[in-house]
Amino acid sequence: MSAHKTSADICLLLEGTWPYVRGGVSSWINQMILGMPDVTFSVLFIGGARDAYPERQYEIPENVKHIDEIYLEDTWSLKNDLPQRVQEPNNTEAIAAFFNFLHAEQVPSLATGERVLESLLKGEVTRDLIMRTESSWQVLCADYEKNCSAPSFIDYFWTVRTMQAPLLALASMAHHLPRAKAVHAISTGYAGFMGCVLRKLWGCNFILSEHGIYTKERKIDLAQAQWIAESSDQTLRGGLAPSSSYMRALWIRFFERIGLLVYQAANPIVSLYNGNRLRQIEDGAAEQRTLIIPNGINLKAWEGIPEQRATGGKPVIGLIGRIVPIKDIKTFIRSVRSLVNSIPDVQAWIVGPEEEDPHYVSECRSLVKSLGLQAQVQFLGFQNIKEILPKMDVMVLTSISEAQPLVILEAWAAGTPVVATDVGACREMVCGISEEDRAIGPAGEVVAIADPLASARSISRILQDPVYWQTLQRNGLQRVNRFYSEALMLDRYRALYQHATEVQ
Amino acid sequence: MAGIGFQLRKILAKDTYGATLRAYLYAGMISSGPWALSILSVMVIGLLSLGALVPALEVRQFLISVTYLMASSLIFTGGWQLFFTRYISDRLFEQRDDTVMPNLLGILLLITVTASAMALISIVFLFQGTTWLYGVLMFSNFVVLCNLWIVIIFLSGMKAYNRILLTMLLGYSVMIGASLLLDQWKVYGLLSALLIGHATLLFVFLAEILRLYPSGKLVSFEFLKSTRLYFSLIMTGLLYNFGIWIDKFIFWFNPETSHQVIGPLRGSLLYDLPIFLAYLAIILGMAVFLVKIETDFAEWYEKLFNAVRDGGTLSYIHHARDEMTGAIREGLFAICKIQAVTIVVLLIFAPNILDWLGISRYHLPLFYIDVVGVSIQVVFMALLNVFFYLDKRTIVLSLCALFVVLNAGLTLLSQQLGPLYFGYGFTLSLLVCALVALYQLSKTLDSLVYSTFMLRTD
Repeated sequence: MSAHKTSADICLLLEGTWPYVRGGVSSWINQMILGMPDVTFSVLFIGGARDAYPERQYEIPENVKHIDEIYLEDTWSLKNDLPQRVQEPNNTEAIAAFFNFLHAEQVPSLATGERVLESLLKGEVTRDLIMRTESSWQVLCADYEKNCSAPSFIDYFWTVRTMQAPLLALASMAHHLPRAKAVHAISTGYAGFMGCVLRKLWGCNFILSEHGIYTKERKIDLAQAQWIAESSDQTLRGGLAPSSSYMRALWIRFFERIGLLVYQAANPIVSLYNGNRLRQIEDGAAEQRTLIIPNGINLKAWEGIPEQRATGGKPVIGLIGRIVPIKDIKTFIRSVRSLVNSIPDVQAWIVGPEEEDPHYVSECRSLVKSLGLQAQVQFLGFQNIKEILPKMDVMVLTSISEAQPLVILEAWAAGTPVVATDVGACREMVCGISEEDRAIGPAGEVVAIADPLASARSISRILQDPVYWQTLQRNGLQRVNRFYSEALMLDRYRALYQHATEVQ
Repeated sequence: MAGIGFQLRKILAKDTYGATLRAYLYAGMISSGPWALSILSVMVIGLLSLGALVPALEVRQFLISVTYLMASSLIFTGGWQLFFTRYISDRLFEQRDDTVMPNLLGILLLITVTASAMALISIVFLFQGTTWLYGVLMFSNFVVLCNLWIVIIFLSGMKAYNRILLTMLLGYSVMIGASLLLDQWKVYGLLSALLIGHATLLFVFLAEILRLYPSGKLVSFEFLKSTRLYFSLIMTGLLYNFGIWIDKFIFWFNPETSHQVIGPLRGSLLYDLPIFLAYLAIILGMAVFLVKIETDFAEWYEKLFNAVRDGGTLSYIHHARDEMTGAIREGLFAICKIQAVTIVVLLIFAPNILDWLGISRYHLPLFYIDVVGVSIQVVFMALLNVFFYLDKRTIVLSLCALFVVLNAGLTLLSQQLGPLYFGYGFTLSLLVCALVALYQLSKTLDSLVYSTFMLRTD
């Protein structure tokens, strides 16, 4: 046991989620905190721009003892508490190592990462030193001369500075955070970086959970972002391209380096499904530290619901989700077109809010019309999932991207087989992960993305073979009960917490 | 998905680089230009009158009155001049041209009211031995000069150099012409001529400015909100002008080197004439530096900061910095050359000039050292202007403070050492200040790129 006085069991490191932003990860965090009332938490919320988070979206439970907040944009503002003159450091080696670790093209050794963390905590590398001193300036210029293939120095300067400032601010903040027995970061990135710092400072265990893969998501953001182009005056003169692609590469490298640092420090490294686990290993996580803990649902809430299922009537298939391109609703509609050939009286429901992308919604509606499916396809809007699911014979998911969709678990809990695209955790869920899991048998079918004929074939196979349907239903119920209950997830995390807080 | 959703666009967004400091350069230059011209025309008036009706004592009273008017009005408005120059160039940078006129009228109103109050108080309490007409003329001249020094800062921005020159020619011709017509009324006539000449300049310039910057609003005191921000400029202007005059005041108020001339005003026969004559020797040097600064230096200065703002490479930024440094070096070198020639010429012809002007050769040694002193002053002013361009306000402030202290201290010391050393205080203090400024400038330029990026506070 640590001799230090602690004010909470677990310090949760949250980046852009609970309690300020609603969403999948936030409700999972809420579920965790409420599900373990006997564990006390302290929370560090890391946000981007302060005014992007006007109010808390969740009530703070009793067992959350502290909430601290830090906003990245504040950290590179010069108005804040940055002295005009800073004493030059005695040796610049630590500063050079810091630059080198984050920005150099060559992947640094693991020892360099440790060294950087140490110098951050010892105050050899601080925000004042990096942002003001001539030593730091010289390192930056030398790096630019050596590595930068882009012309714009000011873009390079600000890119580097905006990368460094949050890390430096987090490191100095670490000294003021109330001590916890262990830290748990819900992503790599800045939250994960803070995990590394606190682990070293407190000498405690550091658990990492990733719902998506942070580094990969950042790469997607960067690929889509127009920001670099928009921000530079050069764009107007058309001279931008080399600079922006270089800055992009610099950002990607930055997130990769942080990922490296985090994967090296965290144990265990938890993911939702095997696909993500393999990705983590590829990105530098040690295999023996990785662990899968899928999300679970509260099964008590679903008791008796499969029994409400009515027999007879027209066959019903349904898609549950927001009507947005990532869910690929159009493929669902097209699959209904070919399904009608074999099952003319099939009903296809699209259940989900339509506000997010009205343009896409209207495209879907006109597709229904042009395929002549007005009699079959209905847009039902938002519905109570516990009432709508038992009315469906097959739940269909045509998404082109998912992590571990809870709606599949809910469909099973309602006794509905699923047909899902082969994205995220879907195949592992439908077919099983472990030996024991796979032994139950499939609880639906998995098809390729954007293949309406394949979806239609699977749906029709299930609808037209009652014995097959019943097998799938039984397998689904069994699987969700054995492997995807909220209680099971909480138990596993509780065990992780127990282990992390007891063993130093 | 867990993610920050931060707007990377904002991350890279960089601020525009402060304000254009363009008009800045002239703060010292243009305001010293008319100042030198005023001295010149006053001397002409003096010489013309001396030969005519006015007795020598009255001419002397006139010259001393004008000198005090110049000194007090320049010290009184020096701070406001620098401040207002910066304030206006910031507004023009923001493209808020319509704020120029109301704020100009605002500051003129403020200057008029405070200058009037100050002049009234001094006249009532200090000028008890003089006539009321003399008091009224001193009062009016002071207020007009204070206003003129403010209006003059716009000349650089107007860019209509021919027009400016014509206006100046007109103003000073009116002044000299009026003095010829009015010199029968002796000191009153000459002071009236001065008032008429300066008032002509003031109103013609004012009309030009009003035409250039039309506005829907008449008067605004918005500029007062920025005084805190630019307090250092106000102090700099005050100290600079104070520094220029402090050695004269020391000589005027040391009983051993001065005598009473009119009312409370004292003069130093020995000290005054040589130094005012010497000031005429700097006009060429200032003109040369003005041209150098406006062409090479300004061009590279602009290239440098465009390269910083718009994404130049580091090596190009350094190159532009080096070129800019070279332009400064050349400018200073040009001043040195022209002033060296001037000094040599004056050393050779000084006895003849003094003879021609009817001034005793007793003044010669002091005149020599003053010529050297004012030549260094050109260099010093040039350096201050470069610092203004680079927005190093603290350095300028400390240099001006140093100037005040040194000029006062060394001038007092020179008085202790005896007449042989008169003038050395002034010259030596300028030499030290110029050398310190050079050293500071060299340091500033060495770390210019570093400080531009790393030491920003906004």
